[in-house]
Amino acid sequence: MASLITCPHCGVRPKEEFSIRGDAVPVRPAPNAGAEAWYAYVYVRDNPKGRIQEYWHHAAGCRRWLVVERDNVTHEVFSVRDAADVARSGSGEAA
Amino acid sequence: MCEVTLPMTLSFAHRHVLEDHIVGFETRPNPHHLAVVRRPTILCVLAHAGFEGGVKAALHALEGVCVRICGPAEWLVVSHSVGPEALLRLVREIEGVSAFDHSDGRVLMRIAGPNVRSILAKCLAVDLHRDSFAPGASANILIAHVAGNLARIGEDAFEIIVPRSYAGTVFEEVKEMGREFALTAGFSED
Ligand SMILES: [Zn+2]
Repeated sequence: MASLITCPHCGVRPKEEFSIRGDAVPVRPAPNAGAEAWYAYVYVRDNPKGRIQEYWHHAAGCRRWLVVERDNVTHEVFSVRDAADVARSGSGEAA
Repeated sequence: MCEVTLPMTLSFAHRHVLEDHIVGFETRPNPHHLAVVRRPTILCVLAHAGFEGGVKAALHALEGVCVRICGPAEWLVVSHSVGPEALLRLVREIEGVSAFDHSDGRVLMRIAGPNVRSILAKCLAVDLHRDSFAPGASANILIAHVAGNLARIGEDAFEIIVPRSYAGTVFEEVKEMGREFALTAGFSED
């Protein structure tokens, strides 16, 4: 259930310890990318149903940024990874 | 006609109905007791990238301190015998470390008693069974809606560290949750 998130650093924690900071899929464009790319990055979002990736900040725990992959229909959680690890592995950029 | 005469020799000590609410119900510690440590030394310590393992080992090698886990590469170092300045000097000798004195910014409380887990279960949502949070374990946890650090210092004893501005709230909340077991509270001896 999404109300319990297994932080890779802290273990099983209630969702109240986290703040959800939005879609983890969009990739920040290069500084010189056109206005359209920046507009899309800042404002344009899908409203997907099903399996999604989100940034969760473990505000009341280890204070690490996490990437939570979960289903927003069934609340099933598939994976919780440290955002730094995701960025290093580059696997968070599959849009 | 009948006249009632009251025995005027009997003297009652006047006690206001809110006396206990103001002064406290019990002054001597019960089996369930919340002790507030007056002036502990609490340092916040971070390890630079690549130095995590070395810093951790060096902190654990220090004498007269307890090391509390906050998250990856971050700890609270607590001492009841070494002062903040002296401990800060010791910790800053470790390679790849950033350390800051939080002694005045944090409050340390110790709660103990046979049903301590039942009390804590009412103000935090983490499994405290020894299989998942054994004696010696510590972690940053939401305690009474406040981001704090919890450490298990014994089978039935825990230490709570919270930011000082939230300490009053947490203290009142934990006391309330302990009423079921007549939890008493006071400053500790150390
Ligand atoms: Zn965490």
